[in-house]
Amino acid sequence: MEELKATGDYKQFIVIKLGEEQYGIDIKYIENIVRMQHITRVPKVDSYLKGVINLRGEVIPVMSIRIKMGLEPDQETKSSRIIILKLGMNGLIGIIVDEVKEVVTLESDQIEKIAYDSKDDKDSFLCGVGKCAGGLISLLDLNSVVLENL
Amino acid sequence: MDVSQYLEIFLDETDEHLQNLNTQILLLEQEPDNMDTINEIFRAAHSLKGMAGTMGYKRMQNLTHDMENVFSEVRNGNIKVKAEMIDVLFQCLDALDEYNANIRESADEGTNDNEPLIKQLNDIMNDGKEGAETAAPAAAPTSEQPAGESGGKKWLEIKLGESERSVLKEAVKQGKNVYGLTVSIQEACILKAARAFLVFKAIEEDGEIIVSDPPTQEIEDEKFGFDFSLIVISGSPLDKVIAAASNVSEIQEVLGDVLDLDHEEKTEAAVQETQEKPEAVEPAAVPAAPAAVPAAPAKGNKKVEEKKPAASKPVVNRTVRVDIEKLDTLMNLVSELIIAKNSLVSASAVSGTSSTAVNEQIEYLESVTTSLHESVMKVRMVPIESTVSKFPRMVRDLQKKLGKKMELYMTGEETELDRTVVDEIGDPLMHLLRNSADHGLESAEVRKERGKPEVGSIFLDAYQDGNNVVIEVRDDGNGIDTQAVRNKAIERGVITPEQAENMNEKDSIELLFNAGFSTAQVVSDVSGRGVGLDVVKSKIEALSGEVEVKSKLGEGSSWIIRLPLTLAIIQALMVDIGNEKYAVSLGAIQTIEDIPPQDVKLVQAKEVIQLRDLVIPLIRLNEILDIESKKDPDENLVVVIVKKGDKLAGLVVDELIGQQEIVIKPLGKYVSKCKVISGATVLGDGEVALILDANTLI
Repeated sequence: MEELKATGDYKQFIVIKLGEEQYGIDIKYIENIVRMQHITRVPKVDSYLKGVINLRGEVIPVMSIRIKMGLEPDQETKSSRIIILKLGMNGLIGIIVDEVKEVVTLESDQIEKIAYDSKDDKDSFLCGVGKCAGGLISLLDLNSVVLENL
Repeated sequence: MDVSQYLEIFLDETDEHLQNLNTQILLLEQEPDNMDTINEIFRAAHSLKGMAGTMGYKRMQNLTHDMENVFSEVRNGNIKVKAEMIDVLFQCLDALDEYNANIRESADEGTNDNEPLIKQLNDIMNDGKEGAETAAPAAAPTSEQPAGESGGKKWLEIKLGESERSVLKEAVKQGKNVYGLTVSIQEACILKAARAFLVFKAIEEDGEIIVSDPPTQEIEDEKFGFDFSLIVISGSPLDKVIAAASNVSEIQEVLGDVLDLDHEEKTEAAVQETQEKPEAVEPAAVPAAPAAVPAAPAKGNKKVEEKKPAASKPVVNRTVRVDIEKLDTLMNLVSELIIAKNSLVSASAVSGTSSTAVNEQIEYLESVTTSLHESVMKVRMVPIESTVSKFPRMVRDLQKKLGKKMELYMTGEETELDRTVVDEIGDPLMHLLRNSADHGLESAEVRKERGKPEVGSIFLDAYQDGNNVVIEVRDDGNGIDTQAVRNKAIERGVITPEQAENMNEKDSIELLFNAGFSTAQVVSDVSGRGVGLDVVKSKIEALSGEVEVKSKLGEGSSWIIRLPLTLAIIQALMVDIGNEKYAVSLGAIQTIEDIPPQDVKLVQAKEVIQLRDLVIPLIRLNEILDIESKKDPDENLVVVIVKKGDKLAGLVVDELIGQQEIVIKPLGKYVSKCKVISGATVLGDGEVALILDANTLI
């Protein structure tokens, strides 16, 4: 996963599933993908913060983006994963996804920007829609999904 | 030259030198004739100048240069140390400190030329030696003493080994010339090694350097005075070689002559006969540099400073400067190891493979990790000296500013604390000292009336007490007038007069730590702006420490600060609440009690228990942490009594698990909203447990 490739005319995304919908996460933010594990609850925090996990000795907070985006709460299954993201200076954070499918490379003309007139809450978490062989992929705007309301 | 990579080192060393100068000048004020002190000051100033020059900080260099000139004159006995001079010198140090602060912030020294100071320095110089020569080059006395009979021709003192001699003879046979050269570099030169390198290069264009004194390696390391000598084989005539060397900038003088090998042998024989000078007959092939001899004044001093670029012999440095981040990494790795060890212990307990051999090895591993942890902790520990050594100077300044007589007595400067704590503790201590000087100590007249010595005493004592370090700031002043404190508090609306009636001494003193509280009648710029003590308290609590005040009216007060030795790894009590595990720092725990439910009483609708005449409020952790308790309401309560300052509280938990050494991990920004949790830790089975902050619970 060379950094260079992601900065050219194309970007790479990891395709994940939340319910039936496919979402894309820019690969440059992803530190790690781990299996579901025991999450230690932290009291007195927002409901979408599920708690903290131990990732090789580091304590990392885990967030449910389903709850954050107003979807049904997570159902833990065999394919559930925690994606560890690194966003700016805030350190690492994990997000829970239903399934990790694949890595796709999208050319810039395969990415459609989203017009910001939608009132739907869910859409404001997206930064575009990608088109590829596997169908449409909603590209997550991680900064607004994860960092908003913190 | 790109010097940015040296910036960090420069700043650190400048701090050190400034601190050293402060201490030494204070000493000088006490004993104006102490040559050791003067030499030490001179050296520190000289190093500062050199460093500033190398880094290209011209203003800083100018100021230190003038300071150095003054010290040089003092050292030569041309100027006497006077009180005004000390004052000016202190102002200079402040100005240098300011440059340093500017550089730290923006890598730029700022634009303040400090001309008045430089002028004052020059005035001191001129007053001191009317008619004497102007500004003798600072380092002159060290390097211009005649070096034996050879005068400037120091190459004559080079001793040749057998192999070198044969090489030279061979060259002569081949019709080449053998020269001896002595190159003197200007004393103002900062990059001596670079100049020497250029000279070497120039000579080697048409010749070969056979011997150099000091050896090449030492020249490269700048371990030489202001001259060096060479034995050269060259095909060119002497004047050409000399001209080539002289062409290098900042070279003062190049002396040279054809080397007479026979004469060389004779002199050497003569030297060996006399054998009087130990320098000349060192077992090494190359004799000690003549330049090392004039450096004698440095040798007379107990504290030999290795940084002096001049000729003093290099002192082998037994310490290493390490980036604090590297130490943090090391500490983290040790933490990992302790976690891994804990996992191993719990894994072997679970799997039931507890053969004696396994147990023995685990015990061995435990003792190794514990010692490793201790050693790493020790590495991170620094003496508080680095922080407290600036206080004598501060008290001296306060004395002038406040017009009171006082003396600071410090003990236990060698007491060690975690580096991060030492860095943070400076400000609170400064506040307390200022407080003592300003509010505590009475004026000389009042003290006389009260039958106390005119000069007030402030004490700063540090010592280790178990797992804590105690720092005590004490004065023999007025003590705290609790009545005045209460009156002030009523005036400020902090308490009502009725509340004041019921307050005991202790509570009244506690009022001082309220934000926006000051009892000084007059607001001075020393203290009394009401931002002091509450900041002191919060800062110390942020370091997991506590402050205690003892005071006796008319006799003085003492402020006792207790700090934990280290912050990263603590002993904790693990408890169960519902299905979750939490850790409580052992340091906060007083006792653990087993309380029958019927002993829980209600006071103002709050649950309390009575314990040995004390009424202690109960905090049901399961409610605070939104957990369903597993326990039956009829069962006895397990209550962990925790202490914060004088206050006690009982934390109700479900079960006790046991005591454990835990590594504190930060929770990060995302979950910072939860105030009752101060951090997390990874348990032996890899699970994360949260650490309860007893301070915020109470």
